Amino acid sequence: MPETAAEERQTTVADPGAAMTAEHRLRAHVERLERRLQKRDEQRRAMLHIMADLSEFNKRLANQRKAMLHILADYEQDRRRLARQTERLDNSRRALLHILQDSHMDKLRLEASRKAMIHIMGDLRETTAEMQRRERELRDKQEQLVQAGKLATLGELTTGVAHELNNPLNNIGLFVGNAVDLIELAGTEKGHIVRELYHAMQQVRKATEIISHLRTFGRAAPVSREAISLRQVIERALSLMREQLRLREIAVTVDLGPEEPVVLGNAIQLEQVFINLLTNARDAVAESPRKAVRIAGSARSGVVEVALTDTGHGIPSGLEQRIFDPFFTTKEVGKGTGLGLSITYGIIKEHGGTISVVSPPGAGATFLIELPLAPAETEETSP
Amino acid sequence: MTTTLSVLIVDDDPALLQALPQALRLRMGGVTVETADSAAAALERIAAEDYDAIVTDIKMPGMDGLALLAEIRTRRPDTPTLIITGHGENELVVRALRGGACDFIQKPIDRGYFVAALYRAIRAHTLNRKVKERQVALESCAEELERLVQKLERPPRAVPGKAES
Repeated sequence: MPETAAEERQTTVADPGAAMTAEHRLRAHVERLERRLQKRDEQRRAMLHIMADLSEFNKRLANQRKAMLHILADYEQDRRRLARQTERLDNSRRALLHILQDSHMDKLRLEASRKAMIHIMGDLRETTAEMQRRERELRDKQEQLVQAGKLATLGELTTGVAHELNNPLNNIGLFVGNAVDLIELAGTEKGHIVRELYHAMQQVRKATEIISHLRTFGRAAPVSREAISLRQVIERALSLMREQLRLREIAVTVDLGPEEPVVLGNAIQLEQVFINLLTNARDAVAESPRKAVRIAGSARSGVVEVALTDTGHGIPSGLEQRIFDPFFTTKEVGKGTGLGLSITYGIIKEHGGTISVVSPPGAGATFLIELPLAPAETEETSP
Repeated sequence: MTTTLSVLIVDDDPALLQALPQALRLRMGGVTVETADSAAAALERIAAEDYDAIVTDIKMPGMDGLALLAEIRTRRPDTPTLIITGHGENELVVRALRGGACDFIQKPIDRGYFVAALYRAIRAHTLNRKVKERQVALESCAEELERLVQKLERPPRAVPGKAES
């Protein structure tokens, strides 16, 4: 366009005739320009509108940017926190990994242990079977031992019993001989003869008692349980030992109190307990200046307690436990089997009781036996 | 033996102290039997009386027969002492015989044997006593004789004139 304007100016200048046209043309041109200007102004105004809108928009954007910045800050914080958490998590993860690794190892080890355990269980089962067999054997042996101990006790008693039997037999011989003499001596009173024979009968009874007692004692009787009077048991044990104790001048006192303690058990076995303890006491007091054995008993709440005390040399300290071991003896070789107290212990235990010994230095020994009393109803039916 | 014999029996068994004296009374006419149930009681009796024989058991509580025997030997050395022993107590028998017992009787007691042993012991004892008495008598006779001999030896010097006349 400027080229055309310049061209028009030139023509105007060159041709005055042409000034009219040029003026016309200029006017048209101005009009065009004014239209253009108007258009431009409209555009400018529109532009201003747009600018205002833009400014508004820009302001909003700035606000949004600010908000965005806040959000970003927040986000940054979150991110940092997250990072920290991640780190922590990572640590945990690593730890877990370790743990897992460990646990895996543990599992392996556990598996190995389990396998070993199974082996052991197998072994154990075999061992248990073996144990049971051994236990059965042991029980058999123990029964044999009890019988052996009984026979040993019997053997110990034999000397005393032989002496005891010899006396009534001798007396019987004399009484009967006297009776024979009296009969041969014609004219003697019948009463005299009867008296001699009566004495002989008494001695026969005495000998019979000893024999029958020995027979019941030595018998391998099945171990039965019945209500028995402890007083009777002690009396019978003493009757077998009496001669031996009397000849050694050992004073025996029995004090069971006013009660009549009845225990559930085996009379022969319990008798053996007291024979064994009396035999020990007899040997213990052999060298003592005062020879005495005291049996004291008392019953209380379901239990009877019997203490057998001697005035002997006592038991050396430290041996209180060992004296109940089988084959343990402090007696000279050939004097004791070492079975007496171990069998005694076994019998008392079998009867649900306990036996212990106290031996204060310088004094004799006291054996303490505790036995459960028989229930009341059996007590009433017993003799 | 004209005088009645007296015997002491020592035993701790009361039945034996009934049976044995009766047996002796039946078998030995006119014998006096006393009994003691312990060695201590026996020693009291011995102190009071001089028995012709003492019979004692060995096994007794307290002082036993062997100890009693030793006591008798010191207090009454002349009294014959017999010992009653159980069967098979040979060691005790030997000790008793060494300790001065004049015989032993085993239980169970055979009455015939016992009475014979007792008689033998008493006879030995009486004979012993007689021997001693005779010895004493003989000794006094010997002394008498000696005195006589001395008397007979003296006169020739004491009365020379008489012998010449």
